[in-house]
Amino acid sequence: MSFLHIHNIHKRFGETHVLKGIDIAIEKGDFLVLVGPSGCGKSTLLNMIAGLDDISEGELRLDGERINDLHPSRRDIAMVFQSYALYPSMTVAGNIGFGLEMRKVPKAERRAAVQRAAELLQIENLLDRKPGQLSGGQRQRVAMGRALVREPQLFLFDEPLSNLDAKLRVDMRTEIKQLHQRLGTTIVYVTHDQIEAMTLATRIAVMRGGELQQLGTPQAVYDDPNNLFVAGFMGSPSMNLVTARIERLGGELVARLTAGSDEVVLPVVRDRAALEAWCDREVIVGLRPEAITDPSSANRQDGVIHEAELAVDLVEPTGADLYVVTQLGGRSINARMRPGSTLEPGQRARFAFDVSRMVAFEPDSEHRIRNPETVAPSEPAVVTSIS
Amino acid sequence: MSAASPVARRNPFARAMLYAVLAGFAVIYLMPLYVMLVTSFKPLTEIHQGNMLALPDAWTFAPWREAWGSACIGLECSGVHGYFFNSIKIVVPAVLISGLLGAFNGYVLTKWRFRGHKIVFGLILFSCFIPFQIILLPMARVLGILHIANSTTGLVLVHVVYGIGFTTLFFRNFYASFPDELVRAAKLDGAGFFTIFFRILLPSSIPIIVVTIIWQFTNVWNDFLFGVSFTSGDSAPITVALNNLVNSSTGVKAYNVNMAAAMVAAVPTLVVYILAGKYFLRGLMSGSVKG
Repeated sequence: MSFLHIHNIHKRFGETHVLKGIDIAIEKGDFLVLVGPSGCGKSTLLNMIAGLDDISEGELRLDGERINDLHPSRRDIAMVFQSYALYPSMTVAGNIGFGLEMRKVPKAERRAAVQRAAELLQIENLLDRKPGQLSGGQRQRVAMGRALVREPQLFLFDEPLSNLDAKLRVDMRTEIKQLHQRLGTTIVYVTHDQIEAMTLATRIAVMRGGELQQLGTPQAVYDDPNNLFVAGFMGSPSMNLVTARIERLGGELVARLTAGSDEVVLPVVRDRAALEAWCDREVIVGLRPEAITDPSSANRQDGVIHEAELAVDLVEPTGADLYVVTQLGGRSINARMRPGSTLEPGQRARFAFDVSRMVAFEPDSEHRIRNPETVAPSEPAVVTSIS
Repeated sequence: MSAASPVARRNPFARAMLYAVLAGFAVIYLMPLYVMLVTSFKPLTEIHQGNMLALPDAWTFAPWREAWGSACIGLECSGVHGYFFNSIKIVVPAVLISGLLGAFNGYVLTKWRFRGHKIVFGLILFSCFIPFQIILLPMARVLGILHIANSTTGLVLVHVVYGIGFTTLFFRNFYASFPDELVRAAKLDGAGFFTIFFRILLPSSIPIIVVTIIWQFTNVWNDFLFGVSFTSGDSAPITVALNNLVNSSTGVKAYNVNMAAAMVAAVPTLVVYILAGKYFLRGLMSGSVKG
């Protein structure tokens, strides 16, 4: 039995069907990130776990116990809100200790617990201040302290970093991850930022329009997306998604892509059995920018490299990488190259495609075309044993 | 203001004009108060000389003492002090009760919404637009049935009923912008209905409490119509007593005593403004949510 079990959960507000049967199960110590564009129902789902919204249909189980109708304060859950929601009239210590005070914890014990939480978050020197005197990052810490101090079974985070500036957001992200590793708590975290989802999660649930699109480890969601939406949503810069025609060429299955006035023919390596059925039809193929490189930095050891010469449209250096834009399948696509390449727009260059990472989607249903029982090739046994 | 201030800052002449005009209006506005004050400190003989604006030649507190303790109102010659305390007895409970009920209404109407909450609020709001005169007769009947006619308790009830509409409006609009997430956080922390109200909302409500107190205090204190309709004799509030004092003439009009009595009647509202006004501008909500 899983630790948190969200079973066929529905949410209706009058006529609108906000959540359409969500099924998610995670284990103790998991860091589940609900990610999706705004309006996908991820915050509603979080509020339902917290007990702040009613469950229209379905079942919610925490540690084996059905908690559907349990009052929020009895669920043994703490939540960090997007706006921090600190009580303005209380000091930091009062804020952190309020939950314990409501639970009638004796004063001395309470003070010790507040002190411990404050030390953990390095805010001991702020305990006598009012929230109005704190900076954004400090308020964020207090909000986390308020959740931590109760030592709940489950932590809920509702877009906790979205009000911080970019630099602080990255720092706090690291701290949340460290906190999770140190305390081993179970966390459900809502964000619309797919980078936050990738970096923090042990499990990602990608949602759209009230439906779960994919649930899996960050790497699985990234490398082995269930559909076009997940493929396009996760990753930055996003996956290159272009139209290709599946053909048989000398006994080999290939994907034929237009490249300006030219053509590129890439051998089909992945999901070949499933793609046989799509022979002589158009599909959408997806390749991550890092799967299209310059020949010298191509990963020839694990990948299957196919080279082609294409025109360079645009060069975008980021410092760490060099993104090169070219035309493929009628669209502009991004390739990630080694910085320092002396490529110029208008010039022709050799691009190395790692076709082992190419995924294909049905153009109408946008579902993934996938062999029935494939294991994601990017999760080789070697990597798992190292970690 | 935004249009005038940059001009004034650049041009000292414009600035001087601005202040002159403002000062002119202030003088016009304060003139009656000045006349009242100087008259109340003059002996009657000086008043009869006719120069209203002149300062007293011989300052005297006698009119104030007489107004407070021995002026005749009707047949009773003991000044307005009894009626002053009547007004206190009416205004304090009326303000507290209507304010607290309004705060509760505002809390429920914004944070514990129920089906039809808008209609309920609309109906409560409607009471703000009912003219006093319409309810005089029905209210007299109700007070009679409750056996609190002709008493300060009766007036407290009248003012509470009449005040709830306004106090609810104030608190509802204030709490509408109070972040729901704070209430949700408190629920998760284990706080109940009343704890959330008294520990989370009320301490952050000082600005609207002050507005409500000023509004209700001045309205109830200055009320004349309800006072004169529902009380008589000893239970009348000071506004009614002041009217009776001025009308109980014993030959010569004692303008100085009348003015002193009027000042006594006006002082409490002034005091409320002076004491409470400074809380108006305090931003007590700062820091609770993203800033």
